[in-house]
Amino acid sequence: MTASLDLPDFRAHVRDWCRTHIPEDWRGAQTGVSDAEFVAFQKEWFQELRRAGFAVPHWPAAWGGGMPVARQVVLYQELAAHDAPRLVLAFVSIHHAASTLLAAGTEEQRKRHLPAILDGEIWVQGFSEPDAGSDLAALRTTARREGDTYVVNGQKLWASGAAHADWCLLLARTDPGAPKRRGISYFLMDMRTPGVDVRPIRQATGESHFCEIFLDDAVIPAECLVGPENDGWRVAQETLGAERGMTMLELAERLGNAGFGWLVELCGRPGPGGAAPLDDARVQDRLAGLETELTGLRALCAELVENDRPGPADASIVKLYYSELLQRMTDFGTEVAGLAAHTELRKPLSSGWESGAWVLDFIGSWEWTIPGGSSEIQRSIIGERGLGLPREPKGNR
Amino acid sequence: MTAETAGFTELHEELREVARDLLGRTAAEAAPDWRAIAGSGWLGLEAPEPLDGAGATFAEVALVLREMGRAAARGPYPAVAVLGVGALGLLESSPGRDLLFRETVAGTAVPAVALEGEAVEGVPFRIGRTARGPLLYGTAAFVRDAPGADRLLLPALDPDGTPVVVEAAPDAPGLEVAEQPVVDETRRFGLVTAHGVEARPDAVRRFRGDPKAAVRRLHERAAVAVACDSLGLSEAMLEATVAYAGVREQFGRAIGSFQAVKHACADMFVQVKVAGKLVDGAVRVQAEGRDDGGVAAAMAKSYACAAAVEVAGKAMQLHGGMGYTWESGVHVHLKRAVLNRALSGSPAAHRGRLAERYPPLARERADA
Repeated sequence: MTASLDLPDFRAHVRDWCRTHIPEDWRGAQTGVSDAEFVAFQKEWFQELRRAGFAVPHWPAAWGGGMPVARQVVLYQELAAHDAPRLVLAFVSIHHAASTLLAAGTEEQRKRHLPAILDGEIWVQGFSEPDAGSDLAALRTTARREGDTYVVNGQKLWASGAAHADWCLLLARTDPGAPKRRGISYFLMDMRTPGVDVRPIRQATGESHFCEIFLDDAVIPAECLVGPENDGWRVAQETLGAERGMTMLELAERLGNAGFGWLVELCGRPGPGGAAPLDDARVQDRLAGLETELTGLRALCAELVENDRPGPADASIVKLYYSELLQRMTDFGTEVAGLAAHTELRKPLSSGWESGAWVLDFIGSWEWTIPGGSSEIQRSIIGERGLGLPREPKGNR
Repeated sequence: MTAETAGFTELHEELREVARDLLGRTAAEAAPDWRAIAGSGWLGLEAPEPLDGAGATFAEVALVLREMGRAAARGPYPAVAVLGVGALGLLESSPGRDLLFRETVAGTAVPAVALEGEAVEGVPFRIGRTARGPLLYGTAAFVRDAPGADRLLLPALDPDGTPVVVEAAPDAPGLEVAEQPVVDETRRFGLVTAHGVEARPDAVRRFRGDPKAAVRRLHERAAVAVACDSLGLSEAMLEATVAYAGVREQFGRAIGSFQAVKHACADMFVQVKVAGKLVDGAVRVQAEGRDDGGVAAAMAKSYACAAAVEVAGKAMQLHGGMGYTWESGVHVHLKRAVLNRALSGSPAAHRGRLAERYPPLARERADA
């Protein structure tokens, strides 16, 4: 239906769609809601996007995607500009799980899960462990082969959204004797498997969407192995980058639209004495500096998705820069907003990382600088892969 | 990539190589040979073909400027190609203007445009009606390459308040050009003073189209050009630092393997990447000749020039004691970086221009 539209017409089409489909005042409605309401809203919104062909534009056409990159850029720019709810709950499913299945899964695995994801199947990533954070390859969860199954024991940590998940992308050690990166396998695990126990962890913001997953003799069928046994590290490395690129572009567009817009609005609001922060030249200067950096970030993201041959550290540069800019921006918003910002005790769910509840947004920004390769890890990757600097003397890799 | 952009990229690659070669052959503490620059066609890149130019765009000039920043090159090329050619291109055609355009492209005339070095806007001179006829008054400090110029183009308000350009020889009666030596030895500046310089009608050149927009365009070109220079010098400093950190050993290993050094280099790299994106964006707007280039120019100038100081400063730091020596040459880039930051408007001045847009935006959002 929309395949024949040129880019400006496609943009107009998305704009029209946004005006008629984004729920009015969804932010208000998503503030202080229960988990169940959040999940229901997310699943509904996902189906709304799916009907328009906007849910998984990055998937291959055969599985329901096939939108050209230039159109995806337009789509995410417009969704951001119209402050659409984000696909928070389905994030791992449509990006990480899908890219893993497409890159390394069997045809049966794809057929089983890709259509199910479109119908609302939710995935969680089970990678990190208490003693395997930045040093992910140090993970200790084991998967012991027994006949046609693997028996899994261990503990996963920082599994975002595990409480709502149907399936888990699981890394577990299948060869305890091998060097640590060579003895890991990649599994698809049904979260209803007996022996799988999920316990939410309350995080710094007071929310609890991160979880621990305890695995006690959980049995996984051998057909749920992804790629060859003991080749899981490579599979994980190849598919970890899938959450970058277009998703970073979307986040950058949101930060530049809604995020910066709120910041300007906040700064223009007169305080008790009648003067607005924006009357202060120092505030103007900080805002202009942030707008400049946001412009640079958005251009970096556009390059990352449009470049056929990105540099070896380009994804790390974008992740690092976004994380730290988000932190600087929410810090500034918190500073300008003063004590009034501290009375906003809840932020709207389903929003981006900038919700306008500045204090909680600022505290929550560490959720970007720590996980997914902390800023320190990113700097090492940029130095080593991007600039070719020598690695640390050989430690335990 | 389309065939057209592929050809374009190839052309740019070639231009970059030629520039790197020509600038690389220039002896330290010397300016690249002006005849070689003219011979390479760099002066006429943006000049129209009927005036012996190449009919190319600011994008190609920007590429040469970036290489000049990288090499910390001396000489008046930026002043002539950015401001001289820029001003001439914005003026109405006339025999006098066309002749100077041709001579500039050929390298036989070296014009300086007397814009105030630190300014982000404005016209420094004015023409007064006097009993002796129209006379030019005013001063402009830190005029780029004024001391070596053989022609001065003086932006002025005519008696009606309309911006025009007055052409004058440096030794014209009433005109004074005093050199202003600066710490950055790769640059030359002059204080240009006009106390009653004869402004005969044939020496007064009018802008095509909106004169105020033309003046704005000149300032934008100047700002983006400095940003290109700062980007080039940042790239050079990053590369030099990475190379040094890869070979210099302390405590039995290359210093680049220490996270303190590696992470500092990573930060330099990120700054260079962001600066590159902002400069590319600003150059594109200039090359397309759009009237809305002010925002992109302000962002590129403020970010790239501030980043260059940090990058060059970090380069000196990571080169250690060697970096602080005269011989290492890091100081040349650091001095150029701090000068660039002040030239054509400080980062704060440019951010101030960006911020003029916020109060209306805040009102609009509050009303919505």
